[in-house]
Parts: sequence; C-alpha cells; structure tokens
Amino acid sequence: MSNGKSNNNNLPLVIIGLVLVVALAGGWWFYNKSKKPTTGVANNSRPVNTATKPVQTPIVSNVLGAQPPNLLGSPNALVTVEEFADFQCPTCGAKHPLMKEIISTYGSRIKFIFRNFPLQIPAHDKAYDAAVAAEAAGLQGSNKFWEMQNLLFTNQATWTANPDYRKVWEDYAGKIGLDVEKFKNDMAGLNAKARVDADLARGRALNVSSTPSIYVNGVIVQFEQMNIDAMRQIIDAELAKSQGNSQNPKSSSAPTNAAPAEPKNK
Amino acid sequence: MSDAEVLSEQSGNKIAKLPLAAALLALVGLCDAIYLTIHHYTYVPVPCGEGFDCGAVLTSPYATIGEIPLAVFGAAAYFVAFSLTILAAFGNRLMWKFFGVQAALMAVFSIYLIYVQAFYIHAFCQYCLLSAATSITLFIIALVSRFWRS
Repeated sequence: MSNGKSNNNNLPLVIIGLVLVVALAGGWWFYNKSKKPTTGVANNSRPVNTATKPVQTPIVSNVLGAQPPNLLGSPNALVTVEEFADFQCPTCGAKHPLMKEIISTYGSRIKFIFRNFPLQIPAHDKAYDAAVAAEAAGLQGSNKFWEMQNLLFTNQATWTANPDYRKVWEDYAGKIGLDVEKFKNDMAGLNAKARVDADLARGRALNVSSTPSIYVNGVIVQFEQMNIDAMRQIIDAELAKSQGNSQNPKSSSAPTNAAPAEPKNK
Repeated sequence: MSDAEVLSEQSGNKIAKLPLAAALLALVGLCDAIYLTIHHYTYVPVPCGEGFDCGAVLTSPYATIGEIPLAVFGAAAYFVAFSLTILAAFGNRLMWKFFGVQAALMAVFSIYLIYVQAFYIHAFCQYCLLSAATSITLFIIALVSRFWRS
C-alpha cells in the first residue's frame, strides 16, 4: 500500500523527466533534420522564394550594379566574391567579421564587391537609408565607404534602436573624418541613392531574395557554407581553377569593371 | 472554484483538471518554442502564412537577448510551467501558486511582444502569436482557478 503511494508521488517527476527527455531528444533530432540543406535560400532573414535556386551553376546578369562597384582586393583578380547585404539585417552584421577575414586573408588575390541590397520590409525601415549613408560616405572617398560600412555593421544594434538614427550616422561621419555637411547633402541627393538603386537592380536581376547572399564567381554560397573554413575551400578551389585557366588567353582578359558575377569558366 | 477546490480532486487519486489542461497547453507552448529555437540555429526559414512576416519578426533585434533567441527562454519558461502544473495536478498546491505568478509574468511579457510586433516591427509571426495566446490562456486558467467558484 505504502509502495503504491510512493509510486504515485514519483509519477509527476517521472512525467516531467519524460517530457524533458522527449523535448531534448526530439529537438536534437529535428535540429539535425533541419540542418541538412534542402533549399537554395541563403539564410533565415527572408523566408521568401524558398524554391530551389541553382546551387552550383554560375548566375550571370547583364545588370552591372553601381559603377564603379564598392571593391576591395584587386579589380583584376580572377576570383570575385560578391556580397549582397542589408545594413539592418542581423545576419549580415553577424557575417561582417567573416567577410573582413576573407578580405584580409586573400587581399589582392580576390575581387571583393559589396552590393547594397536593403530589404524593403517594414522591419528594415532604416536599411535603405543606411545604404544611402554608406554610399554618401563613399562619395568622399572609396575608403570612407568601407569605414562607414564597418561602423554601420558593428554598431547595428545601436542605430537600429535609435529613433534619431540619422544623427547617429552624422556622428559616424564626423568620426571617420567626413565633411558632415556634404555627407548630409549627399544623403539627400540623388547620386548615393542611384548607386543603391543600381545595386538593388543587380540583386533583383540575380534573384537575390535574402541577405546576406554571397556569390563566388557567380556561384551562390549556401548559408551553411558561410564560415571561414567552407569559404576558404570555395575560394581556394576557384583560385586553383583560375590559375589553370590563366594560361588560357580567353580567361585572362577580364575587364576591370566587368560584371563580377560573370563566370569565367564557361 | 478556489485553489483548494481545483486541487481537491486529488483526494481520491484523481488528477485535477485545470492544472492538467494547463500542463497540456504548456506542452503546446514548449513545442512551439523548441521549433522556433531550432529554426534560429539552423537558419531554415519557417513556413509563414499569408499576411504574416515571420522572417521580419524572427530576425529583428527584438528576437534575441544578446546572442540567445527569445525562443530559448520561452522553451525554458514553458518547461517550468509544465513541471509546476504537473506537480499541481498531483496535488501540490504550492506549485500551483508558483504557476500563477509565472503565468502572470509570461502573459505580461507576451503582451509586450505583441506590442513590439505591432508598433516596432510592423509585422506578425504566427508562431509568436501562438506562443502569446498560449501564455495568456495559461494566465486565464490560473485566474479562473483563483476566482471562479462553481
């Protein structure tokens, strides 16, 4: 009798333990199941167009984007890394250190191009203006674009939460040595906006639907591959290919401002 | 029906119905939170219904505290709620009181999250609304047990 009562006393704990085990095991199983790449969507920031995207086929577009592009590395490099990003996208901010590491690792062996792709959704209400701010900074020198780009990503949480975010950007402009009045005028003017619009047009032409979207020689990098090891593997493979092709006169004549996603190995 | 009455069915080895209902509801919330946690860490987009924008909500700065998604805290909270309600269902009245306090806090936080979706993000996520509905219903159950006298 007392044994039966003691079993009953333990029953809630058994149920709680059971639920904990099932939750952990089920969660782990579902995590592993979900982790397997099933679509070409680059990340979770925009769950749209989840239909399969070509995974290994280089994507080509005649829409060039802003010219000259925001470029680091060598314009003559045979390997192009092109990133489409949104300054208000947390994942883009999280991947910013990775892109910096790629740029510093490969230097002039790659052509790194940053494309503005502000998502036009209510949650990213400052993204377009942020892209314009970066481009307005770039109008005072290309290195100023990169300084502003870096500040916008590294301080993303600060300015996104600030209702007076334009003032924050003006402070950044002052901090990186811009003529703040010119910066404000350029933000209101058409030149910086035109560059953002050109990048957006290129992104749309390439069917970019999520940020960050990264292409290496026109081949999309899957989100799971957006880490230093996988990116290095991809870029190293492209570098090895390009070295093989550099003896081929056809592939060594890439123009400086050619469409960066243009595949060179057709 | 007072706390005592809610739990009185325990005498005679019956399981109290309101705590059991709350436990089942907490399980729903737990599944929802685990699903969103997995979504966060695998970066697999969640299917989102017409009129919702789950991506906007789940990747907004409000969806995480530091590096940790709110869904992790949600899963922990629902598990605690489940544990308290199961213990209450088997007659532990103190746990039902703790559950009442927790359910109130969860409901308040859920209302805040609905407010954030409506006025800051300007988009809704159906999974977040399900979680809010679950939390608020848990609180209603706790209230009912306190004030409703049959």
